This record gives sequence, C-alpha cells and structure tokens, in this order.
Amino acid sequence: MNEHLLSDAEVARFLVSGYHLVEPELPAGLNESIAAQLDALDHNPGDAITQAVPELWQVLDHPAVTGALVSLLGPDYEVQSHRHWHCKQPNSPHMNWHQDGLNNRDILLNRFLGLYYPTDVTPDMGPTVIVPGTQFRNAPTDRMATYTNIRGQVPLVVKAGTVAFTHYDLWHGTAANRSPHKRHMIKFLFRRTRDNEAPTWNHDPAATDKPTDWNERDRAEGVTNILNFTNPLGVSQSDHYKERAIRRQNWNYLMGLSA
Amino acid sequence: MEAPRQRLLYLQARTPSVMSNIIGLTLIEPVAGFAPEIHAETAPNWPYKTVHDAVVDGWQIVQFPHLQAPFDDRELDVIGYEFILQKMEVIADE
Repeated sequence: MNEHLLSDAEVARFLVSGYHLVEPELPAGLNESIAAQLDALDHNPGDAITQAVPELWQVLDHPAVTGALVSLLGPDYEVQSHRHWHCKQPNSPHMNWHQDGLNNRDILLNRFLGLYYPTDVTPDMGPTVIVPGTQFRNAPTDRMATYTNIRGQVPLVVKAGTVAFTHYDLWHGTAANRSPHKRHMIKFLFRRTRDNEAPTWNHDPAATDKPTDWNERDRAEGVTNILNFTNPLGVSQSDHYKERAIRRQNWNYLMGLSA
Repeated sequence: MEAPRQRLLYLQARTPSVMSNIIGLTLIEPVAGFAPEIHAETAPNWPYKTVHDAVVDGWQIVQFPHLQAPFDDRELDVIGYEFILQKMEVIADE
C-alpha cells in the first residue's frame, strides 16, 4: 500500500466535488524560495515558468502530489507542457466565474489542473474561488455572467505549499485582492494517457460493496453513499439524478469497468 | 424630485417555483461605478432564502426562468433557474 495514494472515499469525493487538496510536506524553505523568485520576476515567462523557477519540479515530484495524480489519472499520467504563473496583484478586482477552454465538456476524468500556492492565502488576498460539483456542466462562460456569489462556493484559503487539484471544467473565479501582497499561483495541467484496467488508488473492495446507508445518507463513508447522496450546491432533484448517473459512469470508468 | 431608478436582483433558484430556495444571488445597484463581486466566503449572508422572500420584501419579478429549451435527461448546463427582479427606488448619489 502506498500511503500517498487516495482512498476510495477520497476518489469518490473528487468525482462529486471536482477538487482535492494536498498539503505536501515540502523541504524547509522551498515555498519561501519559490515565492521570492516569483516576487522578483519582471515578466511572465508563460510555459517557461519551470525554467525560470526549476524548484517547482520538487513540488510536482513530491510523493503526496504524485500519489494523488496516480490515483486519479493512472501511473502513466502526463504533465502537460502548458503551465502558467497567475499573479494576483494587490488592489486587483475579482474575476468572474468561468470554465477554461472551449464549451466542450468531458464527463470522464481525463485531465485536470493542479494549482500550487507557495504562500499562505488569506481571504483578503484574492483567493481562487471554486464551485464544487460544477465540473460536469456544459455551460459556456457567457452564461455565468449573471452569477456572482453561489451558495456552496469554496474560496481556496490555503496554507503555503498547498496543491489544489481541480477538474478541468470546474467553475472558478477569484475574489478581489485587497491585501498589500501579491497572491501567487502556478497552474499545471495533467492528462491521462491510457484507460484504467483496475483501480489505481488504495482500493478496498469492501468500500464499494457497502450497502446503501439510508440513515446517514451523505454523511456515510461508503462509496455508494458518497456518489448517490452528496449534493454540494443543493441542486434540484432532476439535476441531482443526472449528476448521480455521471458520477457512477466515472466511477466505473476508473474501476476499469466499461464506462 | 429625482426619478426612481431600477435596482436589479438576479436570483438563481433551485427550481422554477418562486417558493424554491436560492442557490445564487446578484444585486445590481443603479449607482455609477457599482460592480457586484465574488466574495471569499462559502455561505453568503443573503437577506432572502427563497424568491418568495424577496417578493414579500417588495421586489417585483420582471423575468421568469426560461423553460423553452429542450430538456435533456443526461446533460447538465447552468446552475438553477434564474429569476430577475426589480425595485424602483429613488437613489441618492453619494
């Protein structure tokens, strides 16, 4: 057993909410060193951010990070060449909700983002804000323009060194940065290269075989309960039943069964 | 006397019923320079729990959710059903 691989419940929760936070125990001083180098950059190097700050690879290579990636994308996952340094400047406004890329959603789990924060992020620093459970919605960004605050949204107010894995299609934006500090985030993209033939996480068959607990519902740890009952935004019954079907399709896909 | 201005309230509700709980809320004040903003909070402190609560408080619905789109029993799109409400009020500029 690899202690850094995810559990069945963690994988199921990722399918439900579209995000998972990892707090790797990085070498002392690494976050501070990366943050200082980012503070000193006078231009955005785009994809070459890992050449400008090579220590970023130490974050991606940390066993807690690779453990989550192997669990969700398989052992042959690819770190894609596109990556980006997002520097939210002091006194910059909020950013509206959006999904990245074109309006062509992938309801399976083939790629996602890893957002690394080298400093603590406080609520006034313009944290990334995500909307759990929106990753399967085929909603062009223009259609989100009349949304502002959504009950259940989650600001990524995190400790230095946190890596937030988010489904590529998860709705996200930012709050305003009203602090005197730059808020750094490095975005990485990861992609599956082959379909699973078996679970790639710390799978316990007993977790999936647990019968439905109708009393504990979304509070129970069993995979069936997590997939069936969790409703992070409190959406309508029709939407919730559609979500259930997509989650189950994903789970079967990750289990190596036919999706 | 100054003319009243249109305050706007976008409510994304769980269902097309006005009794439905609100999932999203955007208030637009008719004041130059006003901009709604995403806040770093999970449970926003809203004055209304349902669309009906806003109606009771004097908001008038000027657009009901569009339900003409073909319903697909698999695809998910936007969150909730959007009601647009207004209040006409005299607003004092600062």
